[in-house]
Amino acid sequence: MLSASHIAELRAAVGEDGLITGRSQLQTYECDGLTNFRALPGAVVLPRSAAEVQAVVRVCARHKIPFVSRGAGTGLSGGALPAEGGVVISLARMNRILEVDIANRYVIVEPGVINAHVTQRVAPDGYFYAPDPSSQSVCTIGGNVAENSGGAHCLKYGFTVTHTLALDVVLPNGDLVTLGSRALDAPGYDLTGVFVGSEGTLGVATRITLRIVKQPEVVQTLLAAFHSPQAAGQTVSDIIAAGMLPSALEIMDTLSIEAAEAAVHAHYPMCGGLLLVELDGPSTEVEILMHEVRAISQKNGATEIRLAQSDEERMLVWKGRKAAFAAMGRISPNYIVQDGVIPRTALPRVLAEIAGMAADVNLRVANVFHAGDGNLHPLVLYDRAIEGQEEIALDLSYRILHLCVDNGGSITGEHGVGKEKQEALGYMFAEPDLATMQLVRCAFDPENIANPDKIFPRPRLCADRPGPYRPHPLETAGVAEIF
Amino acid sequence: MSASTALSLEEVRSHLASMVGDEHANLRGDGIHAAPANILQIAEVLRFAHKNDLSVAPAGGGTKAGWGNRVPARIRLSTKRLTSLIEHSWQDMTCTVEAGSTWATMQAELARHSQMVALDPLWPDRATVGGIAAVNDSGALRLKYGGLRDLILGMTLVLADGTIARTGGKVVKNVAGYDLHKLMTGSFGTLGVIAEVNFRLHPMEEHAGTWSATASDVAQFESPLRALLDSQIAPSCVQVRVKREKCAVDIRIAAVPHCLDEQADRLEKVFESFHLAVSTEEVWQARQELFDRDYAVILKVSLLPAEICSILSELQQQAVSDRLDIHAVAQANGLVTVAFGAATDEVIASVEYLRTRARNSGGSVVALQMPDELRGRLDVWNCDFNALPLMREIKRRFDTKQILNPGRFVGNI
Repeated sequence: MLSASHIAELRAAVGEDGLITGRSQLQTYECDGLTNFRALPGAVVLPRSAAEVQAVVRVCARHKIPFVSRGAGTGLSGGALPAEGGVVISLARMNRILEVDIANRYVIVEPGVINAHVTQRVAPDGYFYAPDPSSQSVCTIGGNVAENSGGAHCLKYGFTVTHTLALDVVLPNGDLVTLGSRALDAPGYDLTGVFVGSEGTLGVATRITLRIVKQPEVVQTLLAAFHSPQAAGQTVSDIIAAGMLPSALEIMDTLSIEAAEAAVHAHYPMCGGLLLVELDGPSTEVEILMHEVRAISQKNGATEIRLAQSDEERMLVWKGRKAAFAAMGRISPNYIVQDGVIPRTALPRVLAEIAGMAADVNLRVANVFHAGDGNLHPLVLYDRAIEGQEEIALDLSYRILHLCVDNGGSITGEHGVGKEKQEALGYMFAEPDLATMQLVRCAFDPENIANPDKIFPRPRLCADRPGPYRPHPLETAGVAEIF
Repeated sequence: MSASTALSLEEVRSHLASMVGDEHANLRGDGIHAAPANILQIAEVLRFAHKNDLSVAPAGGGTKAGWGNRVPARIRLSTKRLTSLIEHSWQDMTCTVEAGSTWATMQAELARHSQMVALDPLWPDRATVGGIAAVNDSGALRLKYGGLRDLILGMTLVLADGTIARTGGKVVKNVAGYDLHKLMTGSFGTLGVIAEVNFRLHPMEEHAGTWSATASDVAQFESPLRALLDSQIAPSCVQVRVKREKCAVDIRIAAVPHCLDEQADRLEKVFESFHLAVSTEEVWQARQELFDRDYAVILKVSLLPAEICSILSELQQQAVSDRLDIHAVAQANGLVTVAFGAATDEVIASVEYLRTRARNSGGSVVALQMPDELRGRLDVWNCDFNALPLMREIKRRFDTKQILNPGRFVGNI
């Protein structure tokens, strides 16, 4: 798709050593963490500066070449899947921390900076960067911004968007603009809020101003073992109802515990539902509240309650939890990770339905979830070698997402829609909702070249005016259930 | 923006009356006040306005109608009949509320389960959910709980052409599709009419205390404030009140009862060179009092947190030397409300000085309130940034005929 002259223009933009066109090297970039979708790009560029990103994007804009920006490629929804024959902009070389301002509690980074490195940089001053996706030791801030990444601790601390103050963005026409500011409430539309989580479809972030947070005085992590995930789920509801806001509330079911144990030896108690409760804050308060958490756990039939006794032990507990996805390889040849969200109170009902749906098609589903905010990660286990099983597993994983929507939730809590859940987005939102989102898309990217054919259910062109008025399903349904 | 020449005002009223009921479409001055009963009627009114090129100003309680550039609108679309708390899923700690509900009414309902939307906007008794979201108002609680960007989970909107659209959802964690509710928040009614808002909720702060200390020069607070925000004390609110020759700092801490004493002890150590005293909750009305008194010019100033004290101290010195009547309330997060008693040349100079100081550190100064004679001399928004063309393009796509609050916003959007 790329001609020799396109390649020459890209070479002029980033230099010989910033350009990859060899087929075997290009194959490194043909997928992200969602490996069942693959496409070979025509070229990969590795710019070193915003100016080089601009130069690349201008080449793409001039010739209407689709481009996909990419951080570490750890995304789980195919967001960084290349456009076939198009350009991949790898931000790996833009990995400098540009400014640290402790007094004003912000850090300015380039997009290729690794998530965990931000915390490492400010930890000596007693601060941390709060969003902690499980891949935080390798994933990049640019990717986090694209996906609005969360993590186990976003229950208390919020998501990437909570912590993003400002962005420099190369728009799909090559213009460089600043969205937001270091100080709060920059006048104008909150385009920072819109850009974060837009999955690379609105431009390329080249400079990111992040909020940092004071480290809590103490952190305590408790493990409570229950007979079932439902009992663990009830404990979560009771903790929240008691007015507490733990920094993390995680549940793992038996299959997940087995897998994590096999991979990391986290010394988890073997049980039907394992609850991890992490509290942080002033030491006296944490002591008092942890006492309350124990009592609530006991009331809900906890068979074992254990407090991590040291930082090392606590780290091990988290290592097991964060390794849970990858650990599935220990108990199943293949698996699909899903990312649905439900209202917390729907947890017992939805878990039972998922179990029933899995049993109906003779597959196992492991469950790991951020229980505090209802973010489920059902892992559908299957064997690709068995004819037809992959299709059954995929179908089951999508039906689980529909189940989440039917229960008032969402198809994705932190992984993004990407390539994987395009059709599911159409299940969650009605046509007028999607058309309205498309207005934003077209304002940023009228030529539809920034990560095209992602997020939205079908290819759309900005020239398509919304056309005659289309009633919202709320209207055709008579909105009886609303008023 | 041209108003319709095809329809007389009475004809417009009569059309609107057929949609919202005769008693809810009234001629006022050179415009019509229309109050739809529900979201479908909002859509109907907007479709009509869109078709006939009639400008529309969405309105809630009207408390902030003077903010932004002045725009004459043919139709004032009031949300006052949309007042229900549609859903309070207290166990999930979320709610859905109609835009015309006053803030206080909503909070009173949520309080039945000891929950709240953790935001303290201006005039909660009169200001509506939709209006507060449209200007992105926030108060002292923002330090602990974040602003509306962090508290709004989703919305139902009506676009200028009458399209009804939903965005976000009812769950706290959700990254599906673009977050149009973030675009709507703070957009001053220029992109659509907010009809319903979904919020995440927090438990009410049952055990809390407020402490205050005074000083003559606000610069004296710089070092203890920095120490406070860098400490393990986790205040809900911190504000600095500044007048020409005196100032005060207020700190609110919420914690479980036993811990509250401990936190108070720590707080005293941080402010050991001051006389820190237990104060009343009323000090948190200070920001609103600036608006309720007869100040001529009121600014929303955004600064870097560490610069608040030094910049306000400079302002204090200017006030002394130029004999200005000035009063400011600063939140520790850097958002400051500054009020001037008169609209003199010295005040204009002072505003321009603040603008320069703020801009140097990525901040901004918006003139929320000023006498009519100053409009034209003092720019409301004073913004010139490189994302303005993009914002204009968004406006153009959302409101092709530019009927919603035309010209009210940044860059005359």
